[in-house]
Amino acid sequence: MFLRLTLSCALLVTGLTGAAGATANAGAAGAAGAAGATDPARNAQAAPGSQPSCSSPYRIDKTLPNGARWRLCWEMRTIEGLTLTDVTYTPKGGETIGVLRSTALAQIHVPYDSGEPRFHDIGTIGDDAIALKAADCPGGERRNQFVCVTTRARGHGYLKSDGEGVSKSVQGTDLVVFAAFQLGWYTYLVEWAFGDDGAITPRIGATGSLSGFTTTPAHGWPVGVGSTKFEESHNHNVFWRLDFDIDGSRGDVVEQYDFTGSGTSKRKLSRTVFDEETKAVNSRMRWWRVVDSGVRNADRHPVSWEINNLASAEYRGPADEAFTRADLYVTDYRACERLASTNPTPGCGKSVDRYVADEDELTDPVVWVNVGFHHVARDEDADPMPTHWQGFRITPRDVTAKNPY
Amino acid sequence: MRRARIMMAFAVAGATAVVGVLSLVPGEQGSQAAQSVARPPSPGDPLTGDEITRAGQIASATWRSHMTTGRAELLYVERDDDKEAGDRRRADAYIYDYRTDRLVVRTVDLAKGEVVEERTGRGVHPPPSRGEETAAAELLLADPEYGERVRAAHLKAGGRPLVSAADLGLRALTFTPRPGDKVAGACETHRCVRLFVRLPDGSWLDTSRIVVDLSAKKILTLEW
Ligand SMILES: [Cu+2]
Repeated sequence: MFLRLTLSCALLVTGLTGAAGATANAGAAGAAGAAGATDPARNAQAAPGSQPSCSSPYRIDKTLPNGARWRLCWEMRTIEGLTLTDVTYTPKGGETIGVLRSTALAQIHVPYDSGEPRFHDIGTIGDDAIALKAADCPGGERRNQFVCVTTRARGHGYLKSDGEGVSKSVQGTDLVVFAAFQLGWYTYLVEWAFGDDGAITPRIGATGSLSGFTTTPAHGWPVGVGSTKFEESHNHNVFWRLDFDIDGSRGDVVEQYDFTGSGTSKRKLSRTVFDEETKAVNSRMRWWRVVDSGVRNADRHPVSWEINNLASAEYRGPADEAFTRADLYVTDYRACERLASTNPTPGCGKSVDRYVADEDELTDPVVWVNVGFHHVARDEDADPMPTHWQGFRITPRDVTAKNPY
Repeated sequence: MRRARIMMAFAVAGATAVVGVLSLVPGEQGSQAAQSVARPPSPGDPLTGDEITRAGQIASATWRSHMTTGRAELLYVERDDDKEAGDRRRADAYIYDYRTDRLVVRTVDLAKGEVVEERTGRGVHPPPSRGEETAAAELLLADPEYGERVRAAHLKAGGRPLVSAADLGLRALTFTPRPGDKVAGACETHRCVRLFVRLPDGSWLDTSRIVVDLSAKKILTLEW
């Protein structure tokens, strides 16, 4: 047992030496890991996170068929709309761990292709929540009319044949929390799915109606009979704010992973540790993770959640919309930094690119994710427009030491 | 729309009338207000209707005369979720002063019953409140040219004449001018909103070039 541990640690360090800051970080992680198991302060801090701070009907507590349990609180905030707080995950047979202190939409920026208009769709969206009918929340329960809490099949959790024609498989299930908002002609479905595998999928669906703005063929697509009316193309640049607090706000670090090598047979892992507030752009094999080196799984690997699959149109706006020029931002927690643009609080930056500009040291990181969808209308978008989805994935990395099923 | 009327009532009638009005709200309000319950709220629960009322009263105490004259308005009250405040129940009241174009955000500690923090700034624009949506629509209807167009469109879509702004489906968004905007440059500091107007047949007026300047009480037509 001890040997295996030592070996895996050594491998970890060796594997990472090529990356910036790897040696120092691995050393610190080792020290923290040694202290972690017996540090009473650490354990004491874990306690509040294990119980959501809210009560019925704002409390969601769901154990999925495989035994995984998610607990969280919801709130319909006036500005951000549906906001989830105190999100904790308990893997099957494992201990409860805090994941997110809060998450909510931080902007829906909708610039049209002719250059105008350019909307910042987050208004007082909590007031635009649609009262859901039973049919709008299949298999679930509605909370205060506006929030649906339900479960949904996700397809195969795994499937494996033993080679003798006998296969083992399980079906995955998600806990889904969503609300719908009528923002002008668009209806936005704002949803978080919490998987029985420990993954979180935030996404937003746009449905309702097209704006009906007409433009020239260069900026639109013909809708209706013939080619006289060109519906204007536009982007939906959606921002999420995620305040990760893995087992409390202490000890969280954001890392970026790249795999260098192109046109060659080898790929080499490269890790960048974000010590300061920063911004980052997508790259095909790039992903990020929020890791707490003071919290280890049974294999003594630090627990983390990985941010990946930002299937984004990567809209880059003009200079006065610099907040669109990166796909991910990491800021140090400040209560007044709530929206990615048109931030509503005096004495605070106005947009997320400004929040990172002073490059403060990161002690309690908050992650902002920007996923854009370029919407070129088509005949199928006739009223009511079918939903188009955009979002990303937050997957556990070394939260459990084994397959979570 | 329910809350719009509450905020308007607050602005016009002052605090004493509000208690009665707001007590009808819990359970029906579209946003944030927690259901009316006998037990005290848990730290992470949304604000209750009572807490919203109390926070609004405490935050507005020194603003009442300005709110009566329409110079200032209490936009809304949000739960303050600053994690450094721990489990304390706190509320942020957003107050806008249209005369000086200042946003004032006052944080009320509900247990202490007092304002514990105040932030003010010019050129900071939180989303328009329901009351502001109505005010913007009234300015649009009062505009000789646009008012006429809206009335005509309403008549055509609904088969009956428009009586007031309440007949329209309204939604407002903060308007942020682009650099060098010649028409709406004042909106850098002024309180300016875009207004979406839904007609009785469910269609939307094309208002994409219209900006309502609530500080100057003016309608601006964007050029692009
Ligand atoms: Cu669209």
